[in-house]
Amino acid sequence: MRGKDQPDPPKPLATSTAERLAAIVEAAERAAVQVIDDAEEEARGRLEQAAAEAERLVADRLAELDGLTDSLIAQAEAVGAQSEQLIASLEQARRRLGPDRESGRFEPRQPDSRPSHLTAVDPVAEPAVPAPTALRPAGGETTAAGARLLATQMAVSGSSREEIEARLRNGFEIEDTASIVDAILGPEE
Amino acid sequence: MSAAAPGIGLAEVRALEERYLMRTYKRGAVDFVRGEGPLLWDADGKEYLDFLTGISVCSLGHCHPAVVAAVREQSARLMHVSNLFYTEPMARLAQRLSQSSLGGRVFFSNSGTEANECAIKVARKHAHGRGIAAPEIVSFEGDFHGRSYGALAATPSLARNESLGPMLPGFHAVPRNDAAALRAAVGANTAAVLIEPIQGEAGIRPISDEALLAARQACDEVGALLILDEIQTGIGRTGSLWAYEQTPVRPDVLTSAKALGNGVPIGACVTGPAAADVLGPGDHGSTFAGGPVATSAALAVLDVVDDPLLLRSVRELGAELRDGLAALDGVAEVRGRGLMVGIGLDEGTDAAVVGADLLERGLIVNVPAPSTLRLLPPLLIDSSHLERAVGLIGESLLGLAAT
Repeated sequence: MRGKDQPDPPKPLATSTAERLAAIVEAAERAAVQVIDDAEEEARGRLEQAAAEAERLVADRLAELDGLTDSLIAQAEAVGAQSEQLIASLEQARRRLGPDRESGRFEPRQPDSRPSHLTAVDPVAEPAVPAPTALRPAGGETTAAGARLLATQMAVSGSSREEIEARLRNGFEIEDTASIVDAILGPEE
Repeated sequence: MSAAAPGIGLAEVRALEERYLMRTYKRGAVDFVRGEGPLLWDADGKEYLDFLTGISVCSLGHCHPAVVAAVREQSARLMHVSNLFYTEPMARLAQRLSQSSLGGRVFFSNSGTEANECAIKVARKHAHGRGIAAPEIVSFEGDFHGRSYGALAATPSLARNESLGPMLPGFHAVPRNDAAALRAAVGANTAAVLIEPIQGEAGIRPISDEALLAARQACDEVGALLILDEIQTGIGRTGSLWAYEQTPVRPDVLTSAKALGNGVPIGACVTGPAAADVLGPGDHGSTFAGGPVATSAALAVLDVVDDPLLLRSVRELGAELRDGLAALDGVAEVRGRGLMVGIGLDEGTDAAVVGADLLERGLIVNVPAPSTLRLLPPLLIDSSHLERAVGLIGESLLGLAAT
């Protein structure tokens, strides 16, 4: 048995080390939590920044798309109107050709089948197309569509490739007429 | 055959006219009694080469056998029953006109001015359907659409005759070929733009591609109708069945007359699908229009004209005619398309004097303006007729220049 004047015995070394380790671990954990908090804070900030940037970009793109859409709608409407006219012209051609011509059996009536004094001249040569009497139209989609419609209507009404190309050159100042005429009559053989 | 048919003679005819006809015309001093192809003969047996064809009416030439046969056959079978009943020639002609052009519906009339009246009604009712209370119609200066009051109001030069007023309101004219003025004139109240693709009475003046495109675009923007008056230009006159087929536009409505009957009075207002159902029962009508005789004649005309070979020959002959005329002394300008040709004479030349001189020489032309001759020959002619006409015009100009 120990007397009351006897000092407490020193703590064992193992206990002291364990406490220090615990304190270190605790400090490390606190530091880790702080690091995580800081990282999360930074991440949130960056996410918010990115979101704001994304929203700005989206808004910008939407504004651009809005403008483009209006333009596309306008162009589509113009092309649509011209397409309807082209379709109508082609429909007119189909109606004029009739079932016999569609089947390839149509034989054009020869001029000499008419009374002699009413006979048209033989179509031996391609006609010289009249000199242009029109002002030159301004550029743009309307003019291009007009040129295509002109070529289609002339083809439907029986004009030759040469006549159509001459009219396009004279009326519209189009040098490369082949692409327009090829699309209607097919490539020249 | 060239013998003149028996008649009372020019002096007697003139005396009757003086006494009994309203004085609305200044006529050439000739009493025609017979025609065949491109030729006419007066009561004295003198032969004329007709390069006017009754103002582009007898485009197949005079008394074309197919038309004569159609009229003779139909008039011997049934001449008239009114529009209260069905008749086959009318239905077949409507199908033919629609299928050869805009694909919509047809209203028949007895003349070109009536065809334009129908078109004006279509435009106005179409506009009312779009909520327009006071519809307006825009035309070009120089346009000629007829002499009944609606068509008259759309004919700027005639509409200014105040002694015939007041005119129908809502009609506006802009300078010919002025695309910017046309765009500015077309607005929210515009019902239609009504124009000739080639102005005939103004002296054969084609409307530019730019102006036609402007008209089409302006109409599309406000929902108005583009109406082309093809009364003189249609039925093959320009080398296609319809003149619009050689332009960069397609109208919503077209009007036809003159050559449609080759001398038998008939007119037609033809719509595209957009305007096909605008007029309904009670909106319009006519006692005589679309009768069996007139529509049979028109079917015979289309049988001949709607032929690619014929239309090609019209384009070829037109180019040949214009080239020949352009080479003449005294000719300042040659305008037109196909066999619709206007000659601008040198400054100081009185076209009326030239026209009268040509009549003396046996060539019939028209003088629509003080310095302009108008040629509207039959479509069924050949180069010899062209050479004869060009030769006579050249001789006349040389002869008058020497005096």
